[in-house]
Amino acid sequence: MAEARQVTATQDRRFQTYQLDEAYDEMFAPDGRPRPQYLTLFNRLLELSPSELEARQQSADLSFLHQGVTFTVYSDARGTERIFPYDLLPRIIAAAEWETIERGLIQRITALNLFLHDIYHQGQILADKVVPREMVYSSKHYRREMRGLDVPHGVYVAITGTDLIRLTDGRFAVLEDNLRVPSGASYMLANRQVMKRIFPGLFSQYGVRPLEFYGQALQNTLAALSPVSSEETTIVLLSPGVYNSAYFEHTFLARQMGIPLVEGRDLAVHDNIVYMRTTAGLRRVNVIYRRIDDDFTDPLVFRRDSMLGVAGLFNAYRSGNITLANAIGTGVADDKAIYAYVPAIIRYYLGEDAILPNIETYQCGEPNERRYVLDNLASLVVKAVGESGGYGMLVGPHSTAEERATFRTLIEANPRNYIAQPTIHLSRAPCFLEGQVEARHVDLRPYILYGKRVTILPGGLTRVALRRGSLVVNSSQGGGSKDTWVLTR
Amino acid sequence: MLYSIRHTTRYQYTSPIVESVTEVRMQPRNTDYQQCSQFRLQVRPQARLFTYNDEQQNTVHHFTQPGIHQQLAIVAESEVLVLPRPGLPAWLPNDSWEAIDAASGQHWDWVAPSNDTAPTEQLQQLANELQVTRNEDPLKLLVALNHRLHRSIAYDSGSTHVDSPIDEALQHRRGVCQDYTHIMLALVRNYLRIPCRYVSGYLFHSRTDTSADGATHAWLDVWLPLLGWVGFDPTNDMLVNERHIEVAVGRDYHDIPPTRGLYKGNAGSEMNVGVRVRMLQGSAEQIENNEDESAEPTTYRSTAQQLQARYAETLAAIQMQQQQ
Repeated sequence: MAEARQVTATQDRRFQTYQLDEAYDEMFAPDGRPRPQYLTLFNRLLELSPSELEARQQSADLSFLHQGVTFTVYSDARGTERIFPYDLLPRIIAAAEWETIERGLIQRITALNLFLHDIYHQGQILADKVVPREMVYSSKHYRREMRGLDVPHGVYVAITGTDLIRLTDGRFAVLEDNLRVPSGASYMLANRQVMKRIFPGLFSQYGVRPLEFYGQALQNTLAALSPVSSEETTIVLLSPGVYNSAYFEHTFLARQMGIPLVEGRDLAVHDNIVYMRTTAGLRRVNVIYRRIDDDFTDPLVFRRDSMLGVAGLFNAYRSGNITLANAIGTGVADDKAIYAYVPAIIRYYLGEDAILPNIETYQCGEPNERRYVLDNLASLVVKAVGESGGYGMLVGPHSTAEERATFRTLIEANPRNYIAQPTIHLSRAPCFLEGQVEARHVDLRPYILYGKRVTILPGGLTRVALRRGSLVVNSSQGGGSKDTWVLTR
Repeated sequence: MLYSIRHTTRYQYTSPIVESVTEVRMQPRNTDYQQCSQFRLQVRPQARLFTYNDEQQNTVHHFTQPGIHQQLAIVAESEVLVLPRPGLPAWLPNDSWEAIDAASGQHWDWVAPSNDTAPTEQLQQLANELQVTRNEDPLKLLVALNHRLHRSIAYDSGSTHVDSPIDEALQHRRGVCQDYTHIMLALVRNYLRIPCRYVSGYLFHSRTDTSADGATHAWLDVWLPLLGWVGFDPTNDMLVNERHIEVAVGRDYHDIPPTRGLYKGNAGSEMNVGVRVRMLQGSAEQIENNEDESAEPTTYRSTAQQLQARYAETLAAIQMQQQQ
């Protein structure tokens, strides 16, 4: 580790513990001066007294509590619902930086969508040995039932939440593609709402691109994929129910779009048509924004014990009478073992180099790479390929010998199931913590909507590892979030 | 040979149910050796029938019955022409193992052990006993394995049920055609790494057959260079021939059960299955075997308790929904 330097731009005591080292800092350039897009915020911070900032933080927290912006932590035995921790200070992205992100994401989602279509049809990329057949067929998210099935407009992934991180050289790179049931858009919207109340002046002074149209854009995307015309389309949001950790988000998004929030038992399939039970009788449904995993959508085809889905749904889907967003079987393309092949996938379908780079990834399924991983567990981050949300993960530098031994056994028992990546210095952004402005690691999850065309929300959810030194930003693992500003120019 | 087949399935529920959804794989396939010239499916209560071809080109019929009912009857009738298969050579060319390995990429699903054919300790034991390893010509090995497996397992129609893992049959060395087939698939996939698939269908029985008449039958296809899919019937210690009528192929039984259904209601169910295969045209000797013995239908039961036990698991599943 290089020696940490103190901020040189100011002697202000609010920044006394602000850590600067080789990790990229969102606010300060390496010489310690604020980057141009942060200058206004920086000056404003110097004007505000710590007690003033404290008061605004409290006001923000209260606002989240009143709105009921919560999530549930499964691994916590107390099973509690918590407020999603919110950090007061915005993360600011310059217009030019965003333009690169936007182009990179459009490129990536276009290629991944072509990949999904290919592996569920001809499998040309497999025959050409660009991606090993085994990687696809052994993925637990590969759905054989999708072979030969055509989805509306060829769009498999209508909603994506791609996790980006910023490397030490300032470039954004892709950490994970979330192509199944990405969550968090509601937090992005709630953060913005609160921000506009807490810092109204600063916000309007800055020229921040709006996000509020997300609900409308999502609805348009879903309607564009409907088997019937938009005007006649009935869209519902299918939730696993109140015990699910993202239930708040389900209610929030359904309300934003003005569509019914349903559970499996509210739906029925008859003669390949999906109906919703309403107080006025059965009503035909055309599009389901489903927030349940593939395995639970239809007990007739997938998990027989699932009571969350609707029996017969898949046959209705196959017949083209209903659109599911996202499509079934998209998880194979965000499998962490497939991730390593995404740059090759982009080159294969689009003939271009990836605009947003990948993180170097070792496949434990490959004997040589596995040996390297097992020899270097203490410096690597190991991930189970089919998991998400920060579960099933070993962060080498922060692990105990015992944890490493456990992972060694796990990897040896099922190598295909693990990948490893070097420990990345996620960039840091200023956060207001206990009266101080401190630097904490952040990532960025922009949301991509793919209907008739690709729409990317300017911004996204910036997740923060609120514990000092922590690299894990997942809300389930003690992370929080902050508002993300993409500037108009 | 020309056969007429009548396959009846009756479900009786212990109390009235609603909203049943059913999928049926009963229409014989068209292959190089077989042509299904007629097929008729009738269901009670009446329902509109839909059909599609699954990823293996099996024909699937499905239907929904929303109203209250306490019985469900499915009758599938077909007429199928089956041609004799060409004889097999005594052995394959020397480079056959290489050819098998070279083709295993495109046959990935048929080589990888599926849920029902994953290796177990008991399978290992049997593999040792029968010396299942690549030490000889693949075809000769398979023919010998078909025979030895037949002798290692006793046919016992009540010994296992449709959801039994292979260990149940392996432990007591007793089973039915599904077990013989799953065990041989598991041996061929795990120890010989030759592509193979589960075949469900019917057998036009002769008096000497081991398997029970009046029920559906199962065997396996093994993919071999030059020959393509070759059928083995370890239950009856024979190669698949013109008495076998193929209905569906899959990785294992659970890819292609003849019926698969769900309903709403707190009720157990009892299923009765009857299969009658008649020969319409064939040699005199074969026709002689064609007695209508009207075998007792086979009965399967599942109780409401079993269904309720799944409920607790489902509640847990709500929480298991992965958050991305």
